[in-house]
Amino acid sequence: MGRFKKLLAIGVALLLVLSLGACSSSGTNTSSSSSSNNSSASNSSNSSGSGEKITLTYWNIYTSDPLKTKVKEMLDKWNQENPNIQIEQSITENDAYKTKIKAAIAANEAPDIIQSWCGGFSKPFVDAGKILALDDYLNDGTKDQVLPGAFDNITYDGKIYGLTYSGQASVLFVNKDIFSKYNVQVPTTFNDLINAIKTFKSNGVIPFALGNKDEWPGMWYYDLIAVREGGVQLCRDALNGKASFEDPAFVRAAQKLQEMVDAGAFAPGFMGLSRDEATAQFSQGNVAMYFGGNFDGAAFQKEGSNVKGKVDAYRFPAIEDGKGDPTEYIGGGANALLVNANTKHKDEAVKAAKYLAKQLSNAQYVTAGGLPSWKYDDVDPSQVDPLAVQIMNNIVEGAKDSVAAWDLYLEGNDAQTHKDLVAQLFAKQITPEEYAKQMQEKINGSK
Amino acid sequence: MEKILRDKKAIFLFVFPAFFVFVVIVLLPIVVSIYYSLLDWDGISKGIFIGLKNYKDLFIRNTDGFILAVRNSFILALLSVFIQLPISLFLALVLSREVKGEKFYRTVYFIPVILSTVVIGQLWMKIYNPDYGLLNFLLTKIGLQSLTNQWLGNPKTALMAVFVPIVWQYIGYHMLLMYTSAKSIPTDIYEAAKIDGATESQIAFKITIPLMKPMLKVCVTFAVIGSFKTFDLIYVLTNGGPLHASEVPSTLMYNMIFFRYRYGYGSAMAVFIVAEALIGTLIIQKLFANDDAN
Repeated sequence: MGRFKKLLAIGVALLLVLSLGACSSSGTNTSSSSSSNNSSASNSSNSSGSGEKITLTYWNIYTSDPLKTKVKEMLDKWNQENPNIQIEQSITENDAYKTKIKAAIAANEAPDIIQSWCGGFSKPFVDAGKILALDDYLNDGTKDQVLPGAFDNITYDGKIYGLTYSGQASVLFVNKDIFSKYNVQVPTTFNDLINAIKTFKSNGVIPFALGNKDEWPGMWYYDLIAVREGGVQLCRDALNGKASFEDPAFVRAAQKLQEMVDAGAFAPGFMGLSRDEATAQFSQGNVAMYFGGNFDGAAFQKEGSNVKGKVDAYRFPAIEDGKGDPTEYIGGGANALLVNANTKHKDEAVKAAKYLAKQLSNAQYVTAGGLPSWKYDDVDPSQVDPLAVQIMNNIVEGAKDSVAAWDLYLEGNDAQTHKDLVAQLFAKQITPEEYAKQMQEKINGSK
Repeated sequence: MEKILRDKKAIFLFVFPAFFVFVVIVLLPIVVSIYYSLLDWDGISKGIFIGLKNYKDLFIRNTDGFILAVRNSFILALLSVFIQLPISLFLALVLSREVKGEKFYRTVYFIPVILSTVVIGQLWMKIYNPDYGLLNFLLTKIGLQSLTNQWLGNPKTALMAVFVPIVWQYIGYHMLLMYTSAKSIPTDIYEAAKIDGATESQIAFKITIPLMKPMLKVCVTFAVIGSFKTFDLIYVLTNGGPLHASEVPSTLMYNMIFFRYRYGYGSAMAVFIVAEALIGTLIIQKLFANDDAN
């Protein structure tokens, strides 16, 4: 028995030592399909086109299907066709990724090709000089391959710093069956909406599924209502500090939001539910509507969803005396690939990034995960999820303009402030006037 | 052996590696954090020296609700010491007295400690869910429907709702520490007490617990410091919400640094947490020392 115990002890000790070795080479405990997460560039010579093999690193967030498989396919295809330029990927879950990429960029350990978000998320990286400006690389016809306005949200100080590959649009998802069961028409004006909410509520049906734990799902409601009340241009001006958040349009938007809360639009407990719990609720088939981004559509069209094929996509209703054009929406370019300014292989990295961006744009469209930013004539329409097609046709096509969700447009601190204030509106903890005052003070006060 | 112990060089040689690691991994980062806390820095570009302004914002202007967060961590510390530890103590005392299934219960009570925090968080989120959660379901079944709530979604109940799993998770951990301490008491004392006619509870209060003092001091220290630093379960369950109802210093610090890009400000919070943990430990030492003197 003594000898066995000794062997066991040695075995365990060896195991511990080995796992320590494994620990030091991988930075996180998330799934990754590449062997090294921390080294940014390749370990061979840095002269391009000399026939030597280069390895580019690419980080993304696609931990689950369908995008996980699609990304692997596009990487395999590239690696096959470009034996001298190999791309290695590392995948981390969405929220963990946001923390990881910030730390990596700050520590100069970021990969060559970085998945990021347009607007305020990437701005600190650009300001710190860590991201390559791409203007010189885009004069080869790339600009003709993207949809209009694709690069708007990734342009800082007049220069383009990334390749947008998918966009967002705010969508009012409607459960057809519930609407016909209670004989309710899809609302086209705000008054219709309030009436629809009251009708559903009096019949015991939850009007809207909303999970506001992370504060941004609720924020989408406010941002769009503000666009309806004041128009996209006014919103952009306020976000840039050129207009005031105390403009009556923003106060009226806050009032309308609270009107929805008072009418009973949201199920109790929505403040503590996560976005995923809310989309699951809608997928169960007992909720009338869901308002959010096109990306939430993917959950409704998944296998196992009770509402697959029963959901229609519409624009959020118009507001009668609102100054905004009723076709305007929240969204625009949202995901983009950035190139590390310190990459040892600028040309190759940009070439690879262009390829990936186009492929991702198509993949996102086909899987209803995002709206394409690149022209999608090469996508077979029958391959595309019908809900995604509806969204492109009903909401994006012919829209006058769009503005990014405000927490994407603004930078970290201000984005958090805006989300917190809107959450307080939902909880009826502040008045619309107080909300407007604090928005102006805290976000534009220091400019 | 004695010769080695007396040889100062040998002592230095054996102690130095661990001491070096301690300085580099523990002390040095604390010093660097103190430096960062004097900057206005977003973590990526250059920092600007602003002296004690961060601390002023934290405590005097209270711009981000830090005082409330600290208060919440104090409430947790009180709950840990006065609810969690007594439960652990009771279980430890019962198990250390040679009951049937001692080893089994020991393991079972310890399982929450080794479960991943995320798993526990997900479990309790499902228990607290307003629609299909176990808690509301049970309350309705026994007729207490009026008590059903949104728990994690209601700013009024979120704090307590979040504290329940935290207190629950580590009961087994403290129980195990106290159990080993209780087990090391020689059984002749109990026999002598039994002969004198002492009841079980008299034995527990007058003999076992006083002899467990050193371990109790350790447990109280861990419980209090753990409460000051608590992060993971709150992060998973509510992320400090809704509307900061369940905010604690570390969740505030995390959001400050990673979502608001205010590294200097977050460092000031971190320095405060370290300081309060040190002061708390000293106070606990003093309290127990006074007790010993009696």
